[in-house]
Amino acid sequence: MSGYAGKILKVNLTKKEITAIPTKKYDQWVGGHGMGSAIFFDLVKDKTIDGFDPANVVTLMTSPLSGTLVPAASGRTEVQGIGVQSYPIGWFTRSNFGGRFSSMLKYAGWDGVVVVGKASRPVWIDIRNDDVKIRECASLSLWGKDTWECQERIWDYVAGKGKYGEWVKQEGSEARTTQRPAVVAIGPAGENMSRLACLIHDASNAGGQGGFGAVLGSKNLKAISVIGTGGIKIHDPQGLMEARLWQKKNYAFDLENLKRTQGGFEFQAPPLPVALWRGGRPRSDQRPQACIGCHSGCRARYEDKLGNEASCFATVFYWDADSHEIQRKASDLINQYGLNAVELCYGLLWLVLLNRYKQLDSGDIPKCPLDFGDLGSLDFVEQFVKMLSYGNDGLDSKSQFGEDITQGFVRAAKKWGRLKADLKSGLLMFPYWGIPIHKEPRAQVYWGYGTILGDRDINEHDLDWLKWDASIAKRYGRRPQASAEEVVKIITDKMEPFQGDTLMLDFSDNNIYSEHMAKLVSWHRYYTRFWKQSTLFCDVRWPDFLNLHSPDKIGSTGIAEPKFLNVVTGKKMSFLDGINLGKKIWNLDHAIWTLQGRHRDMVHFADFIYTKPGTRVDVPNAYLPGLEDGKWDYYGYTDRRLDKNKFEKFKTTFYKLQGWNTETGYPVKGTLESLGLGYVAEELNKNGKLGKG
Amino acid sequence: MADGRRGNIKKEKADFSRRDFLKLTKNIAVGAGVAGILPSMIWLEDGVAAIPVSEGYLLVDTKKCQGCVSCMLACSLVHEGEENLSLARIQVIQNSFEEYPDDITLSQCRQCTEPACMEACPTGALHVDTKHGNIRTINEEECIGCQECVKACPFMPARAIFDDKKEKALKCDLCVDTPFWSEPGGPGGKQACVEVCPVGAIKFTDVVPEQKGDGGYVVNLRGRSWRRLGYPRD
Repeated sequence: MSGYAGKILKVNLTKKEITAIPTKKYDQWVGGHGMGSAIFFDLVKDKTIDGFDPANVVTLMTSPLSGTLVPAASGRTEVQGIGVQSYPIGWFTRSNFGGRFSSMLKYAGWDGVVVVGKASRPVWIDIRNDDVKIRECASLSLWGKDTWECQERIWDYVAGKGKYGEWVKQEGSEARTTQRPAVVAIGPAGENMSRLACLIHDASNAGGQGGFGAVLGSKNLKAISVIGTGGIKIHDPQGLMEARLWQKKNYAFDLENLKRTQGGFEFQAPPLPVALWRGGRPRSDQRPQACIGCHSGCRARYEDKLGNEASCFATVFYWDADSHEIQRKASDLINQYGLNAVELCYGLLWLVLLNRYKQLDSGDIPKCPLDFGDLGSLDFVEQFVKMLSYGNDGLDSKSQFGEDITQGFVRAAKKWGRLKADLKSGLLMFPYWGIPIHKEPRAQVYWGYGTILGDRDINEHDLDWLKWDASIAKRYGRRPQASAEEVVKIITDKMEPFQGDTLMLDFSDNNIYSEHMAKLVSWHRYYTRFWKQSTLFCDVRWPDFLNLHSPDKIGSTGIAEPKFLNVVTGKKMSFLDGINLGKKIWNLDHAIWTLQGRHRDMVHFADFIYTKPGTRVDVPNAYLPGLEDGKWDYYGYTDRRLDKNKFEKFKTTFYKLQGWNTETGYPVKGTLESLGLGYVAEELNKNGKLGKG
Repeated sequence: MADGRRGNIKKEKADFSRRDFLKLTKNIAVGAGVAGILPSMIWLEDGVAAIPVSEGYLLVDTKKCQGCVSCMLACSLVHEGEENLSLARIQVIQNSFEEYPDDITLSQCRQCTEPACMEACPTGALHVDTKHGNIRTINEEECIGCQECVKACPFMPARAIFDDKKEKALKCDLCVDTPFWSEPGGPGGKQACVEVCPVGAIKFTDVVPEQKGDGGYVVNLRGRSWRRLGYPRD
């Protein structure tokens, strides 16, 4: 099995048992999310359990491309299991982080880690090639430590008598490496089962959504460390080298011929940090920093090391900071304590608004320990971070308020009797599944639809660059990279099996509930489920739709993804094969949600999405392609509401397109069987959740 | 492969300078167990032997490197046909928590003018490949896996590396012998690490770098475009 290590590590923390699952058993899913969903489906018999139940299974999966030279596809790790963040049900969900964990896992001889059960005392997993141990945290005093100190302690322990900077030999063998172990850890937030807790690897690779930090905390699992000295067999090494150089020559940024000097979520973008601190990029000396194998890093390391590797929301969340330095220190704080930046960002905004409107001392809200007069200071954010991590007042004393918000802001609002009103007014900007807003779902409807029809904020930027490019061009009077007409053709031509339907990218009011839009959402679900979350092409750099280095501006997507997968594995998959497998994985996930309790009636946005116009969540007005009065152009669509009735009709259209029951949203036997998921249909039927049709 | 598969030598002459002389007599050389290197050496008058200098070197810019280790992945891929950081003949070592520029070091073979690894090799497996620009390289068939070359390398980490499965030493050959890449390598050809580096932080040169210290090998490859991206040029 070229591209694979051949076995998946299964660690049963309850039984203290370490076993291997042959990867071949799950080969049909290729890797990552597909394998993770299939393993979860097999191992978790009762899908209705809570995320904190010891029977919950967490998978950390690699792909055949992990640890290889495939550009922007080597460093991601896919995490799955029942989450604890979403509301009212903690959906079976996913998260994903970059760095070098998945590659090191492969070099150690493992295609993934499956965590089962719960340890009786705090432990960490120590993987050194085939030698795997469950070790107690006590000997290294890891429990209670922040994610960075935890990693450094493990590094030192694993090095033994060795020293980083030299070749470090593995105990009892001549195998050696110069590399530090790749460690994924939880911080105090995870230990205390804060639902906002995430996983942190190296300085700022975060598996943010789902509350997986809390799930591992509930299992008494502090960290997983892996060091590998082995190799990954490549089906066609020469083909891989040539493909990488082909991609570099034809599609990647060229320092001697820069087409763009801005960063961004595009394959062609140069290596610039997505550092969104209010004061912009630090002026101190710095370098770009990339995940393993990536052609264009999206983070940076700095001369003063403040905010090393932080990007996106980790740099945004403390918007009120008094200084650039405080904002950067805040980024480090959430990484060290292991907290989900997006939820903190919008949770803090909610508290600030409640305070501004004199609502914080009203109703059922316990006394808030925060002094909002101090908002913007380092002390304030440190106290806030500690409250969310320890469930206290952030100053080492008990606090009901602190305890409540560790359950997430939507659950706190529910407890305080504010949920309905604040979701109606939009004060609490959590439009779906108790998850905070990210992109404006009233403008970028595919983002909102994908989220509400799924399990989490999709956080898939496949088309987001389009909005940025057009919106910035409009704002500053520049020309976008391509006209709206040009761009919709380039993109939709690649969207097999719906290729050529340009109306999929018509974001005008009349089209956003159409079958065309349902096709766009479907394609997006399938593409991301397979090519991004299973083969693990990175969300920041893929897909490569529009590329200024290429003739006619046509990027490499559609050609590049299968080319790389096939040279690594020897498979003969086409781009469409991947899309179809993505559809199968999407259907498996949807079946799991159905078993958990998903019904069509639950699938609706928070009221404010229907009653209030969109807001400026990233750009003042989100410009997107639209066909208005017969003319393609970029139009601003932020200032609109979604129509509830029309969205209900859209759901019917979408369910029909999926082959699901339109009344319940349940999967249908014939659809599942046609996808090779007959066994899933049987389980749904046993549980009374199989749709008619 | 002893002498590599491909010849890309532009210059036939063997350059050497005074500092490249290995001051040995024939008797001492044989007695010291370095008989294997004798064919690679050029004997001058007075019993002084000279090792011809390599016609190629890798230079790196540690301040420009983005830490993606694509160079390591390409190196093991073209030489071994697999992705294996432990078998990469160039090593990037980094620490997420350190400050720039101390967060990254790059360790490439220096093709030393006075190669301690070659002197230490008891079989002559590690030799000067006169057919391929005098690169210091290892004949895998003759390597007995004693690791004397690894131990002798005065740099940290050692630039001669060890394949624990094959029990053979490996070292940078400037891509003369790449069974999994058909591009001609060596001096005058292409090196996988140079070709693949996305930011141009590795460069080939045929000029002998200053041997003392790191200054000859760690250079500034940041140009105007690097500055345009907001990164320091100095």
